[in-house]
Amino acid sequence: MNDMTRTGLHTDTTTAKITARGVQVHYGATHALKDVDVDILDRAVTAFIGPSGCGKSTFLRCLNRMNDTVASARVTGKILLEGEDIYDPRVDPVQLRAKVGMVFQKPNPFPKSIYDNVAYGPKIHGLTRNKADLDQIVEASLRKAALWGEVKDRLDASGTGLSGGQQQRLCIARAIATGPEVLLMDEPCSALDPIATAQVEELIDDLRSSFSVVIVTHSMQQAARVSQKTAFFHLGNLVEYGDTPAIFTNPKDPRTEAYITGRIG
Amino acid sequence: MTDISAAFPVRKQSILTASAQMRRRNAAERRFRMYGVAAIALSLATLAIMLFTILRDGVSSFQQASLTFPVELSAEVLDPKGNRNRDEMAKVTTIGYQKVLATAFLAELSAKGIPTDGLTDKDIAELISKDAPGTLRATVLANPDMVGTTLDASVFASGRIDGFLKGRVTLETAELDSNITPEQLQLAEKLQQAGILTSAFNWSFLTNPDASDQRPEAAGLGVAILGSAYMMLIVLVTCVPVGVAASIYLEEFAPKNRWTDAVEVNISNLAAVPSIVFGILGLAIFINFAGLPQSSSIVGALVLSLMTLPTIIIATRAAIRAVPPSIRDAALGVGASKMQTVVHHVLPLAMPGILTGTILGLASALGETAPLLLIGMVAFVDNYPAAPPEGFLDPATALPVQVYSWASRADPAFIERSNGAIIVLLVFLVVMNVAAILLRRRFERRW
Repeated sequence: MNDMTRTGLHTDTTTAKITARGVQVHYGATHALKDVDVDILDRAVTAFIGPSGCGKSTFLRCLNRMNDTVASARVTGKILLEGEDIYDPRVDPVQLRAKVGMVFQKPNPFPKSIYDNVAYGPKIHGLTRNKADLDQIVEASLRKAALWGEVKDRLDASGTGLSGGQQQRLCIARAIATGPEVLLMDEPCSALDPIATAQVEELIDDLRSSFSVVIVTHSMQQAARVSQKTAFFHLGNLVEYGDTPAIFTNPKDPRTEAYITGRIG
Repeated sequence: MTDISAAFPVRKQSILTASAQMRRRNAAERRFRMYGVAAIALSLATLAIMLFTILRDGVSSFQQASLTFPVELSAEVLDPKGNRNRDEMAKVTTIGYQKVLATAFLAELSAKGIPTDGLTDKDIAELISKDAPGTLRATVLANPDMVGTTLDASVFASGRIDGFLKGRVTLETAELDSNITPEQLQLAEKLQQAGILTSAFNWSFLTNPDASDQRPEAAGLGVAILGSAYMMLIVLVTCVPVGVAASIYLEEFAPKNRWTDAVEVNISNLAAVPSIVFGILGLAIFINFAGLPQSSSIVGALVLSLMTLPTIIIATRAAIRAVPPSIRDAALGVGASKMQTVVHHVLPLAMPGILTGTILGLASALGETAPLLLIGMVAFVDNYPAAPPEGFLDPATALPVQVYSWASRADPAFIERSNGAIIVLLVFLVVMNVAAILLRRRFERRW
């Protein structure tokens, strides 16, 4: 395993981390997601694109069962994480979420210190025995999130006092501190300015060496920049899924072409 | 093509001068602001008038006239057997002590050379409060060795003399009053000049139990304050855990279905139920069914808890709902369980709101009267309740009930005390509200 080496733009692994088959989501009477089949690769960035309300965020939230918190949501079909069905009745979603971390659209650090923000996950999962271990995890996570240099002198300062881009990187550090295998990002840059966006994108590219990253984005340029695989959703259907360059240069479906050329969406 | 500009009338108007319509809009805005200021001024004025009347009528209850003179505790009267045995001495009633006091008082007057023309000994003795013999008897029985010595006693002056010093009783009103004569008041004036009759801060108003109609000067708030404190303690202990647990369950865990809707509607309705209905409920359940002693602070507290619970639940639910959902997402996203999300993140953020709601709920419970009347807390309670927890079962009364019961008595001295009790009640309410604000600040600073 070459965990820490930077991989090139092309995925060098073809193992599927997550396999989804026939996934349907209903919110009450609304059929939000229709029969989605997709394989999400390990150590690669997969981008979900599509117009608002197309179901891409819904699908993302299925992958760590965050939809369970929506009372009206009903999910059917199979989603396998390394061959294990995450909707199996024996699965505790809390345990699943430690393996499948999530970063949200709006930076949402806890109103606690930077240290406590990152240390919270390891603490509740009992990952460390002592303070020294915890310190190490916090530092490693912040380093990985490219935030360590900016905050190492003020770990006791409140996480909410950081700038928007720093907050989002703090949220990424918090998500990776629990040692997840998959990192889900729901429009992580939509609330950030271009400079912070560039930093986060660079970070995403780095993260792919250790995690399987799934990112929902409204920006097609962003999808083209950071992802190796792209899935295009439209009106609850997965229209097209393939290598990112192929989707953007040679889309097979006319709807994909219409979307990426700006005619729909 | 039709001419679009025809559909939009063009107004030729310089922006440097306000148009007629703009002036009207500005005037409307000014009027609206004025209404707001007027409304605030009106409510502040009402508050000021209320406080002024209460203070004007009530502050004097914190002053009390006393007579100070040496009392020879004659052994012949107080301990006829001469063996200083407490049980034997207890056979001497307050009538005996009243004689001792009257004799000593008359002796002091003649010693100081204060003329008492036209007054019988009985008239003079009436200047002493009817409470004094009882107090003296209790002092002597507590320490039988005092018999035979001379005690520098300071006893309450009677209610009318107290009122005379405060300006409530005048020579003119005394003409019409069967309880006092102008001559007695003139004697009081002389006593004041001689330094026998003095006025000082009335600690006994805060510590004494209630007193009968004949001796308003001895009536105090001790039992009422203690009763109210006991009740607030029990209300706090029962309401906060139940209220917070119910709110957390309803907000965070309960499925949204017909049952929870019904529960919600009922909680809102409970908050609007007239408080006297809770009194009837308490009478039926806690006293008649559960057999708890009536007039006890535990029954009062349980009734007030029923009343306060909806308030606390509503405030707590609002505070929990005000915590941004993104915080819950964040916690769930890193794999916190529902319980951990609530305890680690939602509750601390909701704490200021919960505290404020709780203290405001307690404050309204502190001022509640009607339900307590129904469960017998309006009774005349002369004994302090014991220390908790046994004391929770002892008869007690409450501050607002004491206000009510004094306000309904005939003697104007009780009306003054009623206003004084309102001042004490208001002080407690202000203290609670300040505590709410301070706690709120403290908890908010943590985040």
